[in-house]
Amino acid sequence: MYKNIFKYDDMKRSEHMSVRTTVGWYFWTHQLLEITGPDVTAFLDYIFPNNIGSLAVGKDRYTTMLNEQGEIIDDVVVMRRSEDIYWVSTLYATKTDDWWYFHQGDYDVEWSEITDEWSMYAVQGPKSRDLVSGLVKKLEEDSVEGPVDDLKFFSHMETQIHGIPCIINRGGFSGEKLGYEIYVHPDDCESLEGYLKPAAEALGGKEVTEFQVMAWTLPTEANFYYMRDLAHTNPFEVGLEKNIKWDKDFIGKEALLKIKEEGPKREMVGFEVPEADIYIRSKQYGGPGEAVYIDGEEEEVGRVSKLVYSYVKEVNIGYILAKKGALHMGDKIKIHGYDAVITKMNWL
Amino acid sequence: MSKKIDERIPQNSGEGANFKSYYGIQSPWNKIYSYQDALHYASRFESVLSAATTQALRIIVPDYQERAQLMCEEAYQRLYTTGKYYGDDDGFGIHPFMCGQYAGALIGDKGDDALLMCGRCQDFGSYRAEKELDVCDWDICGSELCRTTTMSLQGQAAASAERRRKGPGMDYMMVEAKGCGDRHCRIIAESREKYPAPPHELWESFGPAVTEDMKKYTEEEDCISESMMFREECGYRFANGTNNETDSSNQMINMSTGASLYILPAIAETVKRGYVTRKQADHILKCVLEAAGKAMFGERYAIRACREWLGVPDTIGEDGRVMGALIEMLLQSLVCEYEVEAFNEKEVILVIDRSGLEITATKDVPETHLWMWGGMVKTLVNAQWSLWEEDSPENKMRIKIAKRIDEFM
Repeated sequence: MYKNIFKYDDMKRSEHMSVRTTVGWYFWTHQLLEITGPDVTAFLDYIFPNNIGSLAVGKDRYTTMLNEQGEIIDDVVVMRRSEDIYWVSTLYATKTDDWWYFHQGDYDVEWSEITDEWSMYAVQGPKSRDLVSGLVKKLEEDSVEGPVDDLKFFSHMETQIHGIPCIINRGGFSGEKLGYEIYVHPDDCESLEGYLKPAAEALGGKEVTEFQVMAWTLPTEANFYYMRDLAHTNPFEVGLEKNIKWDKDFIGKEALLKIKEEGPKREMVGFEVPEADIYIRSKQYGGPGEAVYIDGEEEEVGRVSKLVYSYVKEVNIGYILAKKGALHMGDKIKIHGYDAVITKMNWL
Repeated sequence: MSKKIDERIPQNSGEGANFKSYYGIQSPWNKIYSYQDALHYASRFESVLSAATTQALRIIVPDYQERAQLMCEEAYQRLYTTGKYYGDDDGFGIHPFMCGQYAGALIGDKGDDALLMCGRCQDFGSYRAEKELDVCDWDICGSELCRTTTMSLQGQAAASAERRRKGPGMDYMMVEAKGCGDRHCRIIAESREKYPAPPHELWESFGPAVTEDMKKYTEEEDCISESMMFREECGYRFANGTNNETDSSNQMINMSTGASLYILPAIAETVKRGYVTRKQADHILKCVLEAAGKAMFGERYAIRACREWLGVPDTIGEDGRVMGALIEMLLQSLVCEYEVEAFNEKEVILVIDRSGLEITATKDVPETHLWMWGGMVKTLVNAQWSLWEEDSPENKMRIKIAKRIDEFM
């Protein structure tokens, strides 16, 4: 008997479901790199496989970052702040800084980490627009960029919340159609929280305080990846190849073309474990993850990358990085003695 | 037929780990051991030495509770201070949004693997974390060390949390400990905001956990014996849940031992608090460590095994080269620089870089080794032979192994 650390936890459930049903807000500061220079767009297009050149000012784009072998070494959101200034949101700024340094070559760019200058709050859920809009509304007449209500997905705008200068970005890591990220100076965090808390409560929402909810249960239900899920995979194995811009040069392109030609050797698949109280190791805690076997067979076909609980579906859910073609929807498998079934990778 | 491929020996382990000629250690008779073997050897030797130093501390402070509290106070404060001024959150994969003391678990998790204390993280959240170890070479040192390491982690977690937005505090407890005879070491950290429990003294860091029913116990058949950095299924890399990855070059065997990090600083604290003078403390340490050294080769089969391990030729009988070679193997394993000034049937002289032995910058670590080696030579070779320090240059420890008669020995 291993009591499920998610299912019976009313606090996690409540925080998770506040995002799904009303609104949840949380401190979600990432590391930020600001990069500029005459060659900045060309450099970022070389560093990242997705299209950076087409990114309009005020827009964002998710992209992986690859090494020369085509392996994903980071996944980031690139925000175009102006014609020649970009922000890159990452959790691996030190490594990314090194990576850029060693690949800068003749590109005329310079960058610095500005994490200490910006704290970020996520406001996620169906009522997140009401919350954010309500906080900004009083200043709309002064806003030069229009109301937050009109902000499109992966767009950001500068505005104020009760006099606090901020950048509001529409996006998030929860899988909600409506979600925002509010960037403020760290000195303004306390003031902003003073506005967020009652505004959320008035809408039936609350603060999300549990790391496992913000980083694991919410994103996994929506088929989002935490970087640990992606480590030592390539975009074809994890379904992130769709937005790669092939008609440009980028780091890892040659290896990736070979993978494309030969076909990936692995693939990420979803699974569910009906039994509630289980002991299955997964990579999200570190380590190699539990070995996966097709029921009745001895050959290992994959490893468990992620295992959480879906509060929406009320079942244990997760991802398996498996040998390509070894597992199919509906397949019955054994993981550490527990019955599981292969499913699609989205539970919303 | 099963297609299962058993674990294979590590490939490229130790690459970039500062060994000049070998990714491993080499005896004077060309017995070569891998980097992995070297780390295991050094880890176990240093644990035995640490266990002996614990006995010295037990003599100085006989009462268990009093001793454990002293050790915990000293370690908590020192590691808190170290973490406060030299903490490296990024280096442990602690992300900026991680508020509170739970992120400290990432520090312990990484350190465990680097110290060959292999196991697995079972839970990692803002209000609860759990780490289970299958192996801990320090398990012979005494349960007060288990309590102390837990409180040192508490100190590091507190220091780390202070650098970020305020979040839940955590009560770190070692609810099972191999040093107490349990199969596993198990640290469970719980936030008292969510899982209330009465406050406790620092030394009472063994729990019980409020969330006992959430713990995941790994059965014997699933236990492991190697850290991630030496396991094929892990790609020979330690990786935690925040994707902090290191290879075996980031081992900590020569950076942290039970004696250097906890026991000797605790003995220094007993001096500071007036239990004993420094001279008395050193006397007790010397007595205990010499005895421990003599006990290592008290049985003939232990001598034969050691000679075999070193590759000592049959033509070499009972002389100081055997002891000198064994010390060389340890020094190589600890990546401690040394020079061989003499190595013959009459005498062995090694000039050792003190800083290489001052693990965690603990100044008296070289002396503890000297005293233990002084005991070992009496049984590994024979009682005619002695080991002592003589004419040491600055920052060096020049040890001599030779026959010596001393009526006050």
